[in-house]
Amino acid sequence: MNQAFRKKIKRNDQLAKWIITVGGMAIIFSVILILVLIAKVSLPLFLPPDSELYASNRLDNAAEVSAVAMDEYLETGYSIDASGLVSFFNIKDGSPLDHEQLSSDTGRQALVSVETFGRLQHALLWDDGSLTIEQVKFSPFFDEQNNNKRSIVHRIEQQAVFDSPTQGMPLRTLARIDEEGQQTRVDLFSANSLHVKILAVTESMFGDEEISEAEEQLEVIFKGDISALAISDDGKQLFAGSDQGELARWDLSDMDEIGLVESFQAFGDGRSITALNMVLGDISLAVGDETGQVTSWFPVRDETGNRTLTRIHDLSLHEGAVRSLARSSQDKTVISLGSQGLNFDHMTSERELLTLNPQDDIRIYQLTTRGDAIIALSDKGELLSWKLDIPHPEINFGTLFGKVWYEGYDKPVYAWQSSSASDDYEPKLSLSPLIFGTLKGTFYAMLFAVPLAIFGAIYTSQFARPRLRGIVKPTVEVMAAIPTVIIGFLAALWLAPLVERTLGSMFLSMILIPAALMVSILIWQAARKLEPLKRVERGFEFLAVVPVIIMAVAVASMLGPGMENLFFDGNLKQWLFSEMGVRYDPRNCIIIAFAMGFAVIPIIFTIAEDSLSNVPPNLKAASLALGASRWQTVWRVILPSASPGIFAGTMIGFGRAVGETMIVLMATGNTAIMDLSIFNGMRPLSANIAVEIPEAPVDGSLYRTLFLSAVILFIMTFIVNTVAEIVRQRLRAKYGRF
Amino acid sequence: MQKRQHKEMNKFWRVGEPMVWLTGAALSLTLLSAIVLIVVIMTNGLGVFWPSAIKELELKDGSRVYGQQMRIEETADKSGLRRQYKIANRDLYGLDFRWIDESQIVTETAPGEVMVLERIEHGDFYGTLQKIETDRIQQVPATTYALLSELERVNTQKEELTELEEKLNDDSYRMEQMRLTLLKYDYRKLAADDPKRIELLNEQEELNEDFGRLIKLQTNRVAAVRKAKAVFADADGREKEIVLADIFQVYEPNLMTTGEKALFYLHKLVELFVGEPRESNTEGGLFPAIFGTVMLIFVMSLFSFPLGVIAAVYLREYAKEGLLVRIVRIAVNNLAGIPSIVYGIFGLGFFIYGIGHSIDMLFFPERSPTPTFGTGGLLWASLTLALLTVPVVIVSTEEALGAIPREMREGSYALGATKFQTLYRVLLPMASPGIMTGLILAMARAAGEVAPLMITGVVKLAPALPIDGNFPFLHLDRKFMHLGFHIYDIGFQSHNVEAAKPMVFVTTLLLVLIVLLMSSVAIRLRNKMKKRYTFGTF
Repeated sequence: MNQAFRKKIKRNDQLAKWIITVGGMAIIFSVILILVLIAKVSLPLFLPPDSELYASNRLDNAAEVSAVAMDEYLETGYSIDASGLVSFFNIKDGSPLDHEQLSSDTGRQALVSVETFGRLQHALLWDDGSLTIEQVKFSPFFDEQNNNKRSIVHRIEQQAVFDSPTQGMPLRTLARIDEEGQQTRVDLFSANSLHVKILAVTESMFGDEEISEAEEQLEVIFKGDISALAISDDGKQLFAGSDQGELARWDLSDMDEIGLVESFQAFGDGRSITALNMVLGDISLAVGDETGQVTSWFPVRDETGNRTLTRIHDLSLHEGAVRSLARSSQDKTVISLGSQGLNFDHMTSERELLTLNPQDDIRIYQLTTRGDAIIALSDKGELLSWKLDIPHPEINFGTLFGKVWYEGYDKPVYAWQSSSASDDYEPKLSLSPLIFGTLKGTFYAMLFAVPLAIFGAIYTSQFARPRLRGIVKPTVEVMAAIPTVIIGFLAALWLAPLVERTLGSMFLSMILIPAALMVSILIWQAARKLEPLKRVERGFEFLAVVPVIIMAVAVASMLGPGMENLFFDGNLKQWLFSEMGVRYDPRNCIIIAFAMGFAVIPIIFTIAEDSLSNVPPNLKAASLALGASRWQTVWRVILPSASPGIFAGTMIGFGRAVGETMIVLMATGNTAIMDLSIFNGMRPLSANIAVEIPEAPVDGSLYRTLFLSAVILFIMTFIVNTVAEIVRQRLRAKYGRF
Repeated sequence: MQKRQHKEMNKFWRVGEPMVWLTGAALSLTLLSAIVLIVVIMTNGLGVFWPSAIKELELKDGSRVYGQQMRIEETADKSGLRRQYKIANRDLYGLDFRWIDESQIVTETAPGEVMVLERIEHGDFYGTLQKIETDRIQQVPATTYALLSELERVNTQKEELTELEEKLNDDSYRMEQMRLTLLKYDYRKLAADDPKRIELLNEQEELNEDFGRLIKLQTNRVAAVRKAKAVFADADGREKEIVLADIFQVYEPNLMTTGEKALFYLHKLVELFVGEPRESNTEGGLFPAIFGTVMLIFVMSLFSFPLGVIAAVYLREYAKEGLLVRIVRIAVNNLAGIPSIVYGIFGLGFFIYGIGHSIDMLFFPERSPTPTFGTGGLLWASLTLALLTVPVVIVSTEEALGAIPREMREGSYALGATKFQTLYRVLLPMASPGIMTGLILAMARAAGEVAPLMITGVVKLAPALPIDGNFPFLHLDRKFMHLGFHIYDIGFQSHNVEAAKPMVFVTTLLLVLIVLLMSSVAIRLRNKMKKRYTFGTF
């Protein structure tokens, strides 16, 4: 043979071997790759937060400084000192930029205290008791002359002015301005004398401005002295804590009806409350006390229907008293300062995110508006800036799988509600109701599908005529190809209304069909003695049964309304609700059982039928020869031999039901509830992914949580499929056939 | 006597005949439910295009209404029957369907002059012709014939407009391309006086002028076309002026013979296949969806077919039976069992945000942040589906290879052929029906799968087909439409579900027919092949 030709075919052979081997390996890797990649996306959910000290400077007049802050570009910082001088400086190297002198409306230039809130808003209390609210605004500026070089420009805007109170100098002052320009000032004078002043500018119908004003001495019924105050961002709620462990809440929302809502002993041991602050969203109150415990509270409806502040989450525990509390304006993170430094806790997940513990004690600190950095001034004059990387503070195993007491709820719940209209919303990302929904839907579907599929497979493989079998099996296989979107659509738009209309008849037919079968078997007992009819027993039984089933359904649909009239006051749904307390959703588990069952039956049927047919025929022959009836043979001989295959088929059907998306998306109603009732819907993992992923921002918590639910789905089906495949391989080895 | 009967009965139970009947009943239930499904789809889907008679009803309150009867059922208080009529005229009544109690109906007639107008907007109109207005001086009589000839005239004008529109589309595509090229120049910091840039800017200016001219022309012509109008009246005599250009089709169902109706039905079927969707997909044709589905299946097959065959050949012919092969088999079966939504989310995370984003960064950096490949599109959807359908191809190819008797291989080796030659010349040709089976099954699966497509590039209404006359002709980055998604979308996302139902059923029927046809062919092929080689297996 030609040497060159021989070489060529040998080379081709080798090449093909390599390509084919690589292709085969690629299949294993693609399975692993899918798992790894989706797991990789969800993994950052569980990574610990990180902080990085990226600038450290000295401030010369540190003792004088009463506020420091930083822009959201992390480039410019500023300090406000006791004379009202705002000094801007470069964060990176500490080089000074420029200054701006602030003064009170009365011209005073000596500050008593500064309180920072909102988006770099500062309430400045001057030494004559007057108060101004100033906001520092930063914006990027692109210099077109200079090659579009970016720089950050800043300006200071005065937002509100309050006159000095007549009572003299307050011990402590809080001031807020809301979106409509309503100004609120709260002063604490000596001996629990709490005073509030509200100024609102309203525009009348004719366009003239009208200023309404309210001033009130607030009622305080503490045993101890007020030791901490907090006010909501819109100035509508005021909280105070005392040095004897008491808490009080005032409602300032109605200018004419300012008053105490509640005042109670919050801590039984009378510990002093040392710090208060609102959590983002103005619903929860963070409380710090002298034992170093940080807790969060919000109003919960009690037995009498009143809303009372209730201790909800226990956050971090400091050594020594909590000195101050701050909040993030991005999420429900609470920052607490104790002797051991700054602690970051997320309220919902109760997760201790970070601890920043520099050598010197921190005196004042301020988080950036985006919450991605914090600037702090130590009592030695050291100015420290950290970059924070806290991507998913609200996620941990507790919030993903456990019960969580969300804001506004009366008790801890499992809930999935990923988004809402407002930004300060507490996302509820518990996967428990979704996993529950998946398992519930699958359970009912399997309840419907498994008996039908296995019995049908037994009949087809063992009792049916071979010629009929040749028709039935391909028919069922073709059934498997019906797109699930079609099954789901019919289930939701045709079956659901039908079942809702004829609920009584449906239940009746569930009883009537078996009853009719029983009766017809008894009748058959007599009829089979006739020779021509006996031929039916040669594999035509399933055709003979059809009229019986159709008649049973027809009778049920005729009797159904009558039965409803007789026993259930004419309306079964109404009766269920009033007598049993069960709500009937039109898209419920009955529909899912039918629809998903219908989708799963062909899968289980095909595999079960294969394994039943593959049982060696000599076993069957031997059993029949020993005098066993055909059912006894099937039940005692064939079924045990084929059981691994049937099990594998059931498992694969289960896997398919778990992951089925379109049917559940259309026919479940998609409500994430945990309720075993057969009359309401659910929200399975798969439908949840399909619904939410288009709106989930890339790399956000929701996006990663959805990938995590895909991982859970993957693992569920992976286990089921692997078990099934191993069983099948064993079976194949046992009987030596494919 | 009685005792004997009792004994016989006992035996009957013990022998287990009732159980056999029970298994038979399970099978019949399964088959019956499948039949019910097909029958429901058929009855609801087939009748949609049949022009059934329009009845004029006189109601007890003196009002009159035209309507096509849809259904009859019992009233809520069980006192009698009520009928559902399609009353159309959405812009007059606000709803398309109305339930009327039989007790309310005084007379029911089928007047011949009632016309059905299929309109581009607001659905159908049922009414009688009152008057035709044109911009010409001579009066046009209000007859059906005159209306039809006027419509003919308007249609020729509309065709001219379509040509103009095509030109406009072309221009706007070119303008978009120029904008992108300019962006690229900007990104590469090409100097402002670079000849290339100046040339392009000049071209752009010319094109802009041309575009403006065409737009003006189009506006004038549209205004001219829209001058022809006709006035119709509903059963109560309420008049409605309708621009002829908005009328898609006119027919008088009450005057049609059965043959004409059949022709009309066929005409509607053709429109279904080649027409564009109207009224947010609830009317008109399915062409873009069919085209999108076909393209998806085609591109998917390009990937899944070779991959699947190679993997199956490896498993059957090259790999040595052992742990590794067992693991690969488990992997393949797992691939088949992974929920399709997980594939979808993988496609989103890996193909779109991973590879697509990298392609954008590398090749189209000037367009960022607008994504080109970094968003859902035909290519990514096809790749995702290819992964999903590879196991189907693998399993049936493997089965086909396994069914080939050993003698064939041995014969080939004995003649001195190498392994690859045996594979290429003997085994693969013999297994080709099995491979075809796998491919067809994979295609059927792709035609019916919706969940992974929803997040990898299927849209409600794609602005352009993935293939067109503009370079490079095949646009794999474009979003596309799909029959399965069409069903989900119009059945669940449209604002008027009741009016959309006929279209959903038609689409469902079409999809079911496609899928069932494909899979029956595949299964027939497989069974035939099984028979061909069974002599050697046992």
